[in-house]
Amino acid sequence: MGPELHTIHGHRAVETLAAKLRRRQVVGSREAALETVLVLRQVVSRARFSNIQQLIAIIREVGRRLAEAQPKEHTVGNTVRRVLHNIREEANSATKAPSATTSRNVYTISKFVLQGQPRKQTASVPKSEAIATLREDDPDDPDSFARGLKPVLMEAIQDVLDELETVYENVSKNAKDHIHSDEIILTIGHSKTVEAFLKSAAHYRNYTVIVAETGPSYSGHDMARSLSNAGISTFLVPDSSIFAIMSRVNKVILGAHAILANGGLVAVAGSLLAATAAQAHSTPVVVCAGQFKLTPLWNLYHDYGALDFADPSSVLGFEEGKLVERVDVVNPYYDYVGPELVDVFITNDGDHPPSSVYRLIKETYDDDDHEL
Amino acid sequence: MSELAQSTAFDIYATFQQFLQDDQISPPLAAILSLAEAIVKSNAGTMFELVQALNDGAEELKRRSKNPISLNAGCELFIAFVTLFPHESDNFAELKKELEQQGRTYAREAISFRDKIAELALGFIKDDAVILTHSYSRVVLKALLHAHKTKRISVYVTESRPRGLGLKTHEALTAAGIPCTVVLDSAVAYVMDRVDFVLVGSEAVVESGGLINYVGSNQMAIIAKAANKPFYALAESYKFHRLFPLSQYDLPTHNPNILSFPTPTARSAGHGDAPSSAIPDATTKGPVYPETSSSSTERAMSQEQIAKNPGVDYTRPDLISLVFSDVGILTPEGVSQYLVGMFAG
Repeated sequence: MGPELHTIHGHRAVETLAAKLRRRQVVGSREAALETVLVLRQVVSRARFSNIQQLIAIIREVGRRLAEAQPKEHTVGNTVRRVLHNIREEANSATKAPSATTSRNVYTISKFVLQGQPRKQTASVPKSEAIATLREDDPDDPDSFARGLKPVLMEAIQDVLDELETVYENVSKNAKDHIHSDEIILTIGHSKTVEAFLKSAAHYRNYTVIVAETGPSYSGHDMARSLSNAGISTFLVPDSSIFAIMSRVNKVILGAHAILANGGLVAVAGSLLAATAAQAHSTPVVVCAGQFKLTPLWNLYHDYGALDFADPSSVLGFEEGKLVERVDVVNPYYDYVGPELVDVFITNDGDHPPSSVYRLIKETYDDDDHEL
Repeated sequence: MSELAQSTAFDIYATFQQFLQDDQISPPLAAILSLAEAIVKSNAGTMFELVQALNDGAEELKRRSKNPISLNAGCELFIAFVTLFPHESDNFAELKKELEQQGRTYAREAISFRDKIAELALGFIKDDAVILTHSYSRVVLKALLHAHKTKRISVYVTESRPRGLGLKTHEALTAAGIPCTVVLDSAVAYVMDRVDFVLVGSEAVVESGGLINYVGSNQMAIIAKAANKPFYALAESYKFHRLFPLSQYDLPTHNPNILSFPTPTARSAGHGDAPSSAIPDATTKGPVYPETSSSSTERAMSQEQIAKNPGVDYTRPDLISLVFSDVGILTPEGVSQYLVGMFAG
């Protein structure tokens, strides 16, 4: 690929974000995704490249650094994949003219299996815009390609950014169709998406929310406070009573940290308890999450919970003195909730059953980006 | 099989058998290769005639093969491809040549599919994993051998009566140094708690995402589900088959003889004296109790009894955790997307 690739290494913004991620100064899936797009925008705007492969290599390099800094923030990698996907699309349409002729004659059986029936290619519709003249690896002026393409690329990145900024509104757009009057909803943790979703429904419906306090972080307290401030009738219950009250609950609404390719999700610890209790009572489980949480990973070894661990002091503090020496304290941060426990995912891109998550992922990202 | 291939007229079934001699070639691929051969040998002058000839060839293969399911998948794939192949050549002979080339190229590429699948499956096999597999499958064997290079694995394989193909798997794995134990088909439930996941190959994956495989897979999947163990199926994409069975008895391999009861006349008529047992009549023979195989140590089913049993069974998609294929790791539902892409619209 050449040495150009390494010019990016010392990029200040990349290093800063990597450090912030490592130190957990940037936490939360949306926060991490937003920061990543902003950094990628800087990187692309400064990058020097004379063909699309070079640009992609640069972005991948940056993406790998950021993802390695905090492997449990899946949205960092997702955002990079998304940007790569959009950039490729833009670049393809910009340089369509020469590639259209070559791709016609190589229709093979394996392509048939992969892509299905051949489409009636409307190949003879070259966009007679100025970008059609873009040439990769122009020997006279190596920067001309970058100069011509950059405005389009910026737009592509802006699209990703816009989507992230409007994600809460778009997820909660149809909230009133999912929550009916006088229903009792159970939720756990403090998911911003779920919060927006519930508040949006409150404009149209009168309903009750039961919030589990979500120990040991007790993020449920914040959630309950926020919801009752918005005028929603709210109950705060201990986590241990989730099963007991489930018989009165009409719907369980969960947030997600990441949605995996098999339709399972990683969510705040306690979600598995709520989802399993819901299944025992045949209560529907709804997951609200932005599309940027779709992660092309599988929960490989079916390990429950053991994904990330938080500070144990909130479980057993040092004031317990003697006991601390004698016990191991673990405070898992996330649960893995399998696809069979979820009824529907409500995203900013429509509602989907767990079984079609895998298809969404195929559409959103390019296959060769799964490993950054 | 026989020397039929030498005969002057083109015999598609013999060609098919010949391709199967190669250990790397599975029935769907052999079917594709035979049909490619048929294109060259046919004297069709139009597309319509050519497709007609291919359909006849596929029909012939199906008729003469005992278990047509997987070869059928290959035939359908190739014929659909031929019908939809976009071409501009004015010369039909050239087109035929091109199509034949396509078939051969695909078969060559397809050999590498198993390596691809083995690589995908590797991520799901953790160190020290105990794996249960069923019968003999080239792709499963490849995946296990591939995993053995980097991870410590041990394998339970079912004996898989009546053909005992599990012993073949056992032999191959043991030779490679993988700890492997053969278990009885009836001990699957007994062993299930000891294994981390189940890995099976496939005869075909159907449109519902369900699996057609050597008989016993279904019960294995049911037990795996009951024990909450993941059940993974490995299938090359040429085994995706456009079929939607709703039960075991919808499979093309099912026939009235399978699971039939003997007619009760033999018993009631010949109550006192022994029935005329000289003639090995399938219907009168019935259960072979002590008289016929009286050695107390081992009793085996007779050929007729085996013939009344199915060779393959169908596993519902809700019992399957994931399907590994060369096109990627799919949920069972994901398979139908590819089939719809190829055959619908």
